[in-house]
Amino acid sequence: MKLEIQNVSKRYNKNKYGLKDFSITIEKGILGLLGPNGAGKSTLLKMIATVSKPTDGIILLNKNNIVKDANYMRKQLGFLPQDFGVYPNLNAFEFLEYMAAMKGVGGKNLKPRITQLLEGLNLIEAANKPIGSYSGGMKQRIGIAQALLNNPKIIIFDEPTVGLDPEERVRFRNLISDLASDCIVILSSHIVSDIDTIADEVAIMKNGSLITKGDPENIVKKVEGKVFETTIEKEKLSTFKSGHIVISTKRKQGKLQVRYISKNPIEDSILQEANLEDAYLYLTKTN
Amino acid sequence: MNTFTIIKSDYLQRTRSYTFLVTLCISLAVAYTFIPEPNATYSTIRISNYVGVYNSAWIAYVTAIMASIFLSLVGFYLVNGSIKTDIQTKAGQIVASTPISNFRYLFSKVLSNFLVLLTIVLIIFSMSILLFFLYNEGFTFELLQFIKPYFFITIPAMFFIATLAVIFEVFFGKYSVIQNVGFFFLFFTLMVLPATTETQFLLDVFGSEIITHQMENQVKEILQSNESIGLNIGYVIGNEKEIKRFNFEGVNFPTSFLLSRIGWILLCIISIVIISPFFHRFNVKEKMSSKKSTQNVSISKTNNEVVLSALPKAQINYGIFSLLKTELLLLFRKGKKWLWIINLIGMGLLVVLPLEIADQIVLPVLWFLQVNRLSELTTKEVTNNVHYFAFTSYKPLSRLLVSQVLAGIILMLFLVFPLLIRLLFIANFTAVFSVVSGGVFITLLASTLGIVTKGKKLFEVLFFMIAYANINGAKLLDYFGGLTHNANYILKLTGFILLLIIITFLKRKIDLKKN
Ligand SMILES: Nc1ncnc2c1ncn2[C@@H]1O[C@H](COP(=O)(O)OP(=O)(O)OP(=O)(O)O)[C@@H](O)[C@H]1O
Ligand SMILES: [Mg+2]
Repeated sequence: MKLEIQNVSKRYNKNKYGLKDFSITIEKGILGLLGPNGAGKSTLLKMIATVSKPTDGIILLNKNNIVKDANYMRKQLGFLPQDFGVYPNLNAFEFLEYMAAMKGVGGKNLKPRITQLLEGLNLIEAANKPIGSYSGGMKQRIGIAQALLNNPKIIIFDEPTVGLDPEERVRFRNLISDLASDCIVILSSHIVSDIDTIADEVAIMKNGSLITKGDPENIVKKVEGKVFETTIEKEKLSTFKSGHIVISTKRKQGKLQVRYISKNPIEDSILQEANLEDAYLYLTKTN
Repeated sequence: MNTFTIIKSDYLQRTRSYTFLVTLCISLAVAYTFIPEPNATYSTIRISNYVGVYNSAWIAYVTAIMASIFLSLVGFYLVNGSIKTDIQTKAGQIVASTPISNFRYLFSKVLSNFLVLLTIVLIIFSMSILLFFLYNEGFTFELLQFIKPYFFITIPAMFFIATLAVIFEVFFGKYSVIQNVGFFFLFFTLMVLPATTETQFLLDVFGSEIITHQMENQVKEILQSNESIGLNIGYVIGNEKEIKRFNFEGVNFPTSFLLSRIGWILLCIISIVIISPFFHRFNVKEKMSSKKSTQNVSISKTNNEVVLSALPKAQINYGIFSLLKTELLLLFRKGKKWLWIINLIGMGLLVVLPLEIADQIVLPVLWFLQVNRLSELTTKEVTNNVHYFAFTSYKPLSRLLVSQVLAGIILMLFLVFPLLIRLLFIANFTAVFSVVSGGVFITLLASTLGIVTKGKKLFEVLFFMIAYANINGAKLLDYFGGLTHNANYILKLTGFILLLIIITFLKRKIDLKKN
């Protein structure tokens, strides 16, 4: 399995690019796609999923150009869009059967597969109720189930954990960690903690461009020895911010405890162990 | 938020759409036909065999009356559903949490409906001026003559329609069918009420009677006759006798009439005040969920770990049977369950009523009752935000679109099944063929218009007009062979069906490619 994205651009109008001259190669395993709002994550994922077409550039899956031959991708794809809807009058079973029919899968195994997916996503008890009566998180899980209907080899989840409670997040993580052995899984998020424990690789993007890609440890190395913590007066925060990259602040006895990144730490700073969140904020704020 | 901002954003939201652009283009084309070209074979307003010379007054009054009637008829369908949109987009929940009063919210909906209609009126108005110069018969251009009928006839009528749409939505919000069919009958009633005396003119909300009455009187004078003479409004085809011309100089509206227009507008505002307390204020989900028992839907946590790679693998199946099954299910479940009782009654009537009435009246009404089902056929992916799945499905054209169209046809034919059996019984195969083609035609019309306009309004409006014409026995729009036709008819209908098939598939194919 090899997905190659070569110099892909998506232009929405005259001077608005959703993605600009973007290249990345993805092989089997789980790739976490991180980026702030508007970075172009959904734009990229929609083009991989053949929902939209690049303005420029090509996308190859195992050397097949999927911009031209979308069905090659669609046959092995599972896609969870960021903002999808459902037919509220159908129940979970009916909706998933419909989705399966759209994808062109069926047969006697379909029913047991749907049942087990619904069990795995903890929806089986609600499966006979119209989806219109589901909660936001339950609807999200229907979307996840839908993406896994046709034994997909390439699975794209755009913000899969939105609306899921902590327990369901864990369940989701366990569910997909098993997929990685011979599939490509791409997850997008702007919440670092959702991604860092399961992703084999992380890609960080901003303003339609790739900033970095690599395994999480290597990315964390970029900020190692630069993360500090110190305590300052509340009033000094804005001047402090202009000189350093502030990651987080915490109120403490009338003062502020600040975690920040800098090459030249101020006095009374304590060196901290760097994590992926530090690296993510550092990279998206300096690029 | 002040009221003006609400109205403005509402208006912009509704007019900045491809569908509205299509609507304006169609209005422009329709307005063009309001004043027939001098040697056209139809007329729009004709008194006996007299039409006016094309001076400012005639062109202005005729287009204003036509706009008033035509836009009242279709305008309702164009603007209703604005509260529903707020429910669907969840914007309503935000509105509900603001301090805005029910009255202000509803009234701003009325005003934005009104503005939408006014935009179309403006298009028609501009076209009427254009027509004056196009058919230039040497009269002077009098702007005041143009403004007068629009101001006193069309605009109050539009305000009435804008209000009516909101009132219907407040009371029948969940039942689009009742809104559509209810208005159909209301309009029908309002149109056939006669008006010949001054008090009756005041009660005529569309305001056309006072004008046509004066035109009639003028022709009577020319003919020196006191009997009532034939007055035709609408598209009357075939001018059998030679058309004569008379000079129409407009109407001096009596003060009482002008006051009655203000009265109508006040009445509209007052009714909004009265219905305000009944507005659900977007508390709809809870009402609905109590019926659908959401309380059972919250589920206990279980701990089934599922290993994906161990799941049974689904096989490839490119057949369309399960797609078709779900499409039928969606059609069937659309709308309230008890409305199916009405369908069943209709099917019963097809059995018991005389064949002619069953074919000419019951069938078009029964089919029209499915308007909301049909109009959704090819637009529901986008309105329900399922298009990411639908348009990336395997062969969306030859599988999904085909099953959607088939499902529509099956529904239509299922409903008229009793009639088909009866017709088969008397071996009237032409009629059977016509009814089947009619079902195919109207389904395809729905899918084509849905795909081309990316919305359901145009089809709903058009279907309404067609059904209205069917009940009135108009031969031109008899798509299901209820009236007798010559042999050419079937050929034409088949031609139309083929054309629609081509347009539907081509346009969707282009849309799928474009993204
Ligand atoms: N249909 C569109 N028309 C015009 N611009 C668009 C369109 N869709 C996205 N954009 C723009 O493209 C850029 C990237 O958007 P995209 O949705 O890919 O971001 P994202 O990384 O998914 O953000 P988020 O985390 O908010 O989901 C944004 O600046 C957005 O404004
Ligand atoms: Mg996104």
